[in-house]
Amino acid sequence: MDLSDWELVQRCQNGDVAAFQELVAKYYRKVYMVVLGILNHRDDAMEVAQEVFFRAYRSIQGFKGGSAFYTWLYRIAVNLSIDFQRRQKRGPTELRETMDEAVDNAEGASSANDPFLDLQSKELGQRLVAAINELTPDHRAVIVMRAIEGLSYKDIGRMLGCSEGTVMSRLHYARKKLQEKLGPYL
Amino acid sequence: MKTNCETVKNSLGAWLDGELGHADAEEIRRHVEGCPSCSGERRRLERVQVVLSGVLETEASRVAFEPFWDGVRRRISEERPRQARLWEWARPAFYPQRIAWAVPVAIVFLLAIFSLVQYAPGWRWGVNRGNVAAVDSIDGHGFNVAVLRESKTKTTVIWLFESQEEDDEASGEPTAKDPAF
Repeated sequence: MDLSDWELVQRCQNGDVAAFQELVAKYYRKVYMVVLGILNHRDDAMEVAQEVFFRAYRSIQGFKGGSAFYTWLYRIAVNLSIDFQRRQKRGPTELRETMDEAVDNAEGASSANDPFLDLQSKELGQRLVAAINELTPDHRAVIVMRAIEGLSYKDIGRMLGCSEGTVMSRLHYARKKLQEKLGPYL
Repeated sequence: MKTNCETVKNSLGAWLDGELGHADAEEIRRHVEGCPSCSGERRRLERVQVVLSGVLETEASRVAFEPFWDGVRRRISEERPRQARLWEWARPAFYPQRIAWAVPVAIVFLLAIFSLVQYAPGWRWGVNRGNVAAVDSIDGHGFNVAVLRESKTKTTVIWLFESQEEDDEASGEPTAKDPAF
């Protein structure tokens, strides 16, 4: 485990809220990305991401450093997001409105000189969000974890409580589904 | 590993993720480099990955730390009063003056309970309540009779015995004044 994370965790365990604030500052964007990737809804993602850190703070006494802090944190994030998603049952998201900017940033360098490619990328971004929305929360979780952090199958399996083989098969299935949906835009 | 396109496409994701062994990874790499179809598949997979992480990173970059932390801190501070309230409720019991009073009160209370158990018939923490045992002694015609009645199991035990004292006194006739009659 990252030494500085462990030091901060130990300070938190001694009641140091400032140390916890440092951990939040370090990981809040990653956690937000994980949650947003699963929920596809900005306000819900904000709410759940804050709840993730609150739950982490509440149970940090029980964290013994057996795994990396972020692994533990992402596990809370994924579990809370999947629970939330199952409770909410929301429809297609509001995220699409931000897609143009997001795709510009993600692919700006490669498509800046080609208006057709640029348009195609924006379309791809919009379709991608819609396609991800059609995946189950479990499939969404693996594809998001992999896309954001490049986490190993072993780490993802540990977070989701399943085997590496299951992670591999879920990823394969999710990618195949996305490719089917996005076929003409890829 | 047999490197036909179908096999490669099934393992392409794991290969891009660096989850294959060295030999398998090398074989797939060689195949992909020489196969336009699998090469296109690889490009599509990578594109999905790049667009997805780009979208999420853009979204996350818009979230400022301060409001986010405020939300977390609010939840933490809302949680604290519950613990604080519990402590506030329990704390007066631990004031030294109250402990000084509480100890003798507890002792008196325990003694009262103990006395009740000892002297109140049938009052045994509710377990044997209503279960009464009584012994009657009857003196008649040179014999003593003792009767034990136990109400719960409706048991009656009768003892017949001779009194050694009465034999010695040689006054064998029972008296009519015996209250047992």
